[in-house]
Amino acid sequence: MTQAIVVEGLRKRFGHREVLHGLDFAVERGTVFGVIGPNGAGKTTTMRCLLDIIRPSAGSISVLGQDPRRAGTALRRRIGYLPGELHLEHRTTGRRMLEHFEAISGTVEPGYVNDLADRLNLDLDRQTRKLSKGNKQKLGLLQAFMHQPELLVLDEPTSGLDPLVQQVFHAMVREAVDSGTTVFLSSHVLSEVQQAADAVAILRDGEIVTVSTVEALRTAAVRQLRFTSTGTEAHDVGALLARVPGVGNVAVRELPADGHAAGAVEATATLSGHVQPLVQELARLSLTDLVLEEPDLEEAVLTLYTGGPENKPAADTGDAGSTGSTGASINAGSSPPRAEGAHRA
Amino acid sequence: MPRILPLFTKALTDSWRSTLAWALGLTAACMLYLPLYPSIGGSAQMQDLINALPAEMTKALNYDQIASGPGYTQATMFGLIGFLLMSMASIGWGAAAVGGDEETGLLELTLAHSVTRVQVVLERSLAVLVRIAFLSVLVFLLVLGLNGPSQLGIDVGHLFGAVVLFAALALLSGTAALCAGALTGRKIYGIAAGAAVAVLGYVFNAVGRQSPDVEWLLSLSPYHWAYGNSPVTNGADWGTVAGLLGISAALIALGAVALQRRDVGV
Repeated sequence: MTQAIVVEGLRKRFGHREVLHGLDFAVERGTVFGVIGPNGAGKTTTMRCLLDIIRPSAGSISVLGQDPRRAGTALRRRIGYLPGELHLEHRTTGRRMLEHFEAISGTVEPGYVNDLADRLNLDLDRQTRKLSKGNKQKLGLLQAFMHQPELLVLDEPTSGLDPLVQQVFHAMVREAVDSGTTVFLSSHVLSEVQQAADAVAILRDGEIVTVSTVEALRTAAVRQLRFTSTGTEAHDVGALLARVPGVGNVAVRELPADGHAAGAVEATATLSGHVQPLVQELARLSLTDLVLEEPDLEEAVLTLYTGGPENKPAADTGDAGSTGSTGASINAGSSPPRAEGAHRA
Repeated sequence: MPRILPLFTKALTDSWRSTLAWALGLTAACMLYLPLYPSIGGSAQMQDLINALPAEMTKALNYDQIASGPGYTQATMFGLIGFLLMSMASIGWGAAAVGGDEETGLLELTLAHSVTRVQVVLERSLAVLVRIAFLSVLVFLLVLGLNGPSQLGIDVGHLFGAVVLFAALALLSGTAALCAGALTGRKIYGIAAGAAVAVLGYVFNAVGRQSPDVEWLLSLSPYHWAYGNSPVTNGADWGTVAGLLGISAALIALGAVALQRRDVGV
């Protein structure tokens, strides 16, 4: 059993409204799998299905080799879950709350709760109602991590955490993964997922737009390119750029000849896809300046969110880790974004 | 570390404040009402006053029986103020046990741990039962303690039976509330269902006693099933006790099955 989660054809209807339209994905054991998508895309619904809190309308789910609908309590003992909307009791302390969850969960190593609380800088003896949102979130993380489960299902885990604590969280995730834990986490922003995840699924309106590695997303994402060259005509530079696959939005202008040798040209463009062909072409020029920016994954993902129906070819081919088809889908998605109204919450 | 009945013990420890509050309320009610018997139920002047009231009213309030100590205790404590307080406590606990817990978002996290939904319903029902039993024992002891000083003249065996019916009747509205909460996931529906059982039961009894034409209402009133034969005076009908407890058990089972089958927190 090398896959911790296998989801096939998962559909969920609430009344007449279908919120998941047949999800397929798999999560390898010992990896971090991130789901990103806007609010209302179906991330929380998917996670609740894994925990048997809600039941699929169609499709099959296997969690740690078992059907969560039938596996019962023994399976949930092996899972740590952080709900997207964390609600805590008011009249209790963190410590008493955790003691209760310990009683209905897997075995907790003595001292481990205190260790985690120290790392997260959380006072367990304060009344929960007096805790800030971030501190409540820490408690939520603690109850998910404390029995060192085989699978962590974390819905928006970094929500409300300040950057320092986010770093602690990412370290906790890495340690868990190093000891063999599988992590399934969601976010509505990519930057949170990209630090932690090996693979990323992009979910939009109840469908998986693409499943990809962060690396592949990075390759496919749009980069801003800007350079200055000398000794070339503007239209030659334009023609050269047009030959490079993935280059778009080209703007070339001749710079005023003050102090420059004749024919200084500044060009800006965007690049999606691989860098190598561009570098080869640029090598023909005599560059005085070159900036190729870090790819803006956020932008790439937003484009995927807002694309129309014809813009999601990868939905059909989206099996885990299939980076081959992913590149194509990201390219398709990097066409100009649709109007914001195209994506519904 | 597995504990025995973790949800049950948690429900009990979490509700000690409200249990204490209801216990104080019931104590106050007993201490205020029962010592007044010698000057109300037993006094000829008071009896004249009650006779002067419309017969419908005295029947509705069960005041037709307050001339005797057991009848007075039945009508005031078990039939009115005690019934009111116990029903409110039981309905509140029942509605909060599953529906209220789901509505506040807490149930989702509990169910994500290694508990079954049936276990949640059963352990929390047991916690409601234990709290009601505790309050009922308290009422039993209070009435017993006041029996002599207030010249009530209640037979201890009859009192015991009446207290069991008192508890079973409160439990019925509590389990109705719990069941509706488990069916819908909403506290308010639980409260509505529990209140319907208690209030309609009371109203059907009050109206049904007015004339033979509407007597059939009595057969729909759990209140009348329990108190129709004045158990403090005459002792409990144990078949009725079994019937009330049986319906409660069925409501709990229905709640467990309903929760087992549906989505939570949506």
